[in-house]
Amino acid sequence: MSALPRLPLTVIGGYLGAGKTTLLNRLLSEPHGQKIMVMVNDFGAINIDAALIERADGDTLSLTNGCVCCTMGNDLFMALGDALDRRPRPDHLVIEASGIADPAKIAMAARAEPDMAYGGIAVVVDGENWPKLADDPLIGAQMRGQVQVADVLLVSKTGGALAPNLAVRLAALSRAPLLDLADLPQVAPVLLGGMAPDGVQGGLQGVAADHPAYVGWAHEGAERLERPALEALLAARPAGIYRLKGHVLSPDGALEVHVVGPTIDIKPAQSDSTRVVAIGLASQIDRETIAAWWANAAA
Amino acid sequence: MAQITVYNAQKIITMDANRPMATHVAVRDGRILAVGGADCADQWGPVTHDSTFADAVLMPGFVEGHCHMMSGFIWDYAYAGYHDRIDPDGKLWRGKTDIETVIADMRAYASTMPDDQPLLTWGFDPIFLQSERLNRHHLDQISDTRPVAFLFSSGHLMCVNSVVLRMVGYDGATNVEGVMKGADGTPNGELQEMAAMFPVMRRLGMDYRTKAHQEKYIHQFAKVCVRAGVTTATDLFATITDQGLAELKRVTAQPDYPVRIVPTIAAMNAAPEEIAAQAHAVAAHSHDKLRLGAVKLMTDGSIQGWSARVRAPGYVGGQPNGLWNTPPETIFALCEVMQRERVQMHAHTNGDEASDVTLNAIEAAARKHPWPGARHVLQHAQMMEGGLFRRAAELGVCVNLFVNHIWYFGDQHAALTIGEDRAARMDGCRSALDAGVAMAIHSDAPVTPMGPLFTASCAVNRKTMSGRVLGPAQRITVDEALRAITLGAAYTLKMDAEVGSIETGKRADFAVLGQDPTAIDPAHLADVPVLGTVTGGHVTLL
Ligand SMILES: [Zn+2]
Repeated sequence: MSALPRLPLTVIGGYLGAGKTTLLNRLLSEPHGQKIMVMVNDFGAINIDAALIERADGDTLSLTNGCVCCTMGNDLFMALGDALDRRPRPDHLVIEASGIADPAKIAMAARAEPDMAYGGIAVVVDGENWPKLADDPLIGAQMRGQVQVADVLLVSKTGGALAPNLAVRLAALSRAPLLDLADLPQVAPVLLGGMAPDGVQGGLQGVAADHPAYVGWAHEGAERLERPALEALLAARPAGIYRLKGHVLSPDGALEVHVVGPTIDIKPAQSDSTRVVAIGLASQIDRETIAAWWANAAA
Repeated sequence: MAQITVYNAQKIITMDANRPMATHVAVRDGRILAVGGADCADQWGPVTHDSTFADAVLMPGFVEGHCHMMSGFIWDYAYAGYHDRIDPDGKLWRGKTDIETVIADMRAYASTMPDDQPLLTWGFDPIFLQSERLNRHHLDQISDTRPVAFLFSSGHLMCVNSVVLRMVGYDGATNVEGVMKGADGTPNGELQEMAAMFPVMRRLGMDYRTKAHQEKYIHQFAKVCVRAGVTTATDLFATITDQGLAELKRVTAQPDYPVRIVPTIAAMNAAPEEIAAQAHAVAAHSHDKLRLGAVKLMTDGSIQGWSARVRAPGYVGGQPNGLWNTPPETIFALCEVMQRERVQMHAHTNGDEASDVTLNAIEAAARKHPWPGARHVLQHAQMMEGGLFRRAAELGVCVNLFVNHIWYFGDQHAALTIGEDRAARMDGCRSALDAGVAMAIHSDAPVTPMGPLFTASCAVNRKTMSGRVLGPAQRITVDEALRAITLGAAYTLKMDAEVGSIETGKRADFAVLGQDPTAIDPAHLADVPVLGTVTGGHVTLL
């Protein structure tokens, strides 16, 4: 295992015009306290408040909050390698998949690469046009495929209310939490977890803990779980948790856990205690429910 | 006064209807001064006779309208493929037709390498081997101390040995799509798709982004071309960096550099306006042996990977339709902007639905922004049939057909991908020519070896690896095929006024052959030896 913390990767999927770049603009200007690197296909669409831009050189924009935004060129995976080799290494990497891409094909790299951590797939669903796109004879299958692999579905252009028939169609394809972008006071907790980048030592930081719309839960203990037991515990997690991460002690070394929506990713790690943080929407879950669930770990 | 050199040859096949055959060609200042007999240039002043080609047959230098400069640097890896292949330096790598030979040959190769170097191979394709699937145990027999990675010819798969699996931490607990496992629950060494391959590529330095345009590999690519008699070649999906462009410009300008290179910019990952602007910006750097300004679109995937977008009745095994790499909406947007900005497009369209959508997009763009000389090209266009060819002809759209597929994958296409009827008409040169479409044929090197005479032979014979003739009605004549690899391809690159035929005023670009391809049994067209090339009057012999 490398000395540097793993680089978490979040992939933003969704068709042209769904609102991926709007979401990224929002993310970059929020007070999440993380040094995020955002990679986009088309620089032209990124429209960051000029006051936030510190420097622009070639294909990289450096922001005053420590974030950078750059284009990925024609070889996305080698660009991932560049992000990993960057010093200081960013706290979080966010990639905007092209409109037709299968975001899972990119996100899977975070599960495969020992130096990366799985940050999940957020698919932006165009609340107005998605049903039409999903039925399109040419691209419908790829549109539905994006929803099927999502860890969290973010619906744009709802006009204040999620259309019930849209929600039903999406739910038939995906178990991922369905969130109306207009309802989210901050997007960082959903996309990044809003947690301290250097593990969970400091507990929850930033917007996740602060904002009343979100529930944050942190735990430190000495539980030791075999991998199958940990997998079973995670599989039985309360539905309102959409992100969980941390280190869990196990008989043969610690395990690093990343849970985003329906996806669970586990990798070997080094740790001397079990430390876990979880986050959900206050409207869907409370801290006590999470704590009661985790108490099963000690049982 | 510039020197006039008059070359005599056993025969000169000119591809010029005014004088189809000759024995002599006069060259001055890199251009053809006269064609005919020994006295053809006498009216131009004193001449020097040169009999270098006295025993050879000259043709116009071949034009490879769809290949990649990766053909140069891929030879840094060991060749592990099924078919015999010749490297840029002329060394024959024998084809490996069973796993035992793969292991033996790669072991022998590895023994010549420094101990700390990984063994990387290319060209292996499991589709051709009847035996057990290649796995880590085979590769461990090659070496259990150095990393061994086989990149499969599709580019979407690799197989690695146990050393590599340990290096990237793949084990029984790994739960990653694409990290394939054996019956014992541990990774068997096969890695599918980039996500699973990336950690290996990153650690073994397999980064291709800028390699093709480094001096060493620009030269290496030229060697590949000369061996094939090619004097004009594309790099048909290029990432052009400032540094790469500077190198390309400098190296190709060297007087002895033997190839005119035509890189086309990848039209992806940027707004159409930006891509058009980049195309115009790089076009300004063009010179005699470097032609920039066109772009390449990627619309769908591949037929043998079931990722090409096909029309009804779909894939014969009931596989779902393929994937768009660029959504139709963006294809339309790109076509409109490129047409408006006068940027020629080469569009990768393997499946017939992709060809159809792209023709629709070009038609819509042409209605808004008429440009009679656009000469956009559908590349591969493997499933186009009469109807699509006639539409292409109406629209002035060219096709460059991937006819090498008939030999390499024709049997598979008939049995496994699109079925008998559509396999018989695929890469339909006869239909294209009959419809009046401007047509070229290509190798897509390094996907299949560069060799225009082999490609011509595929179009003439349509023989598959199993020996059957696939779609005899689509065969074309030797003369038609030779035109496709010279003037035909030059037309698709808008270079037909300067290369592609041996006629006065054109560039002195010749393929030097050991036999007359028009005087042999067409079944042996691919065996005509290439002795070298002449490019702008500069002679390069093998
Ligand atoms: Zn190609």
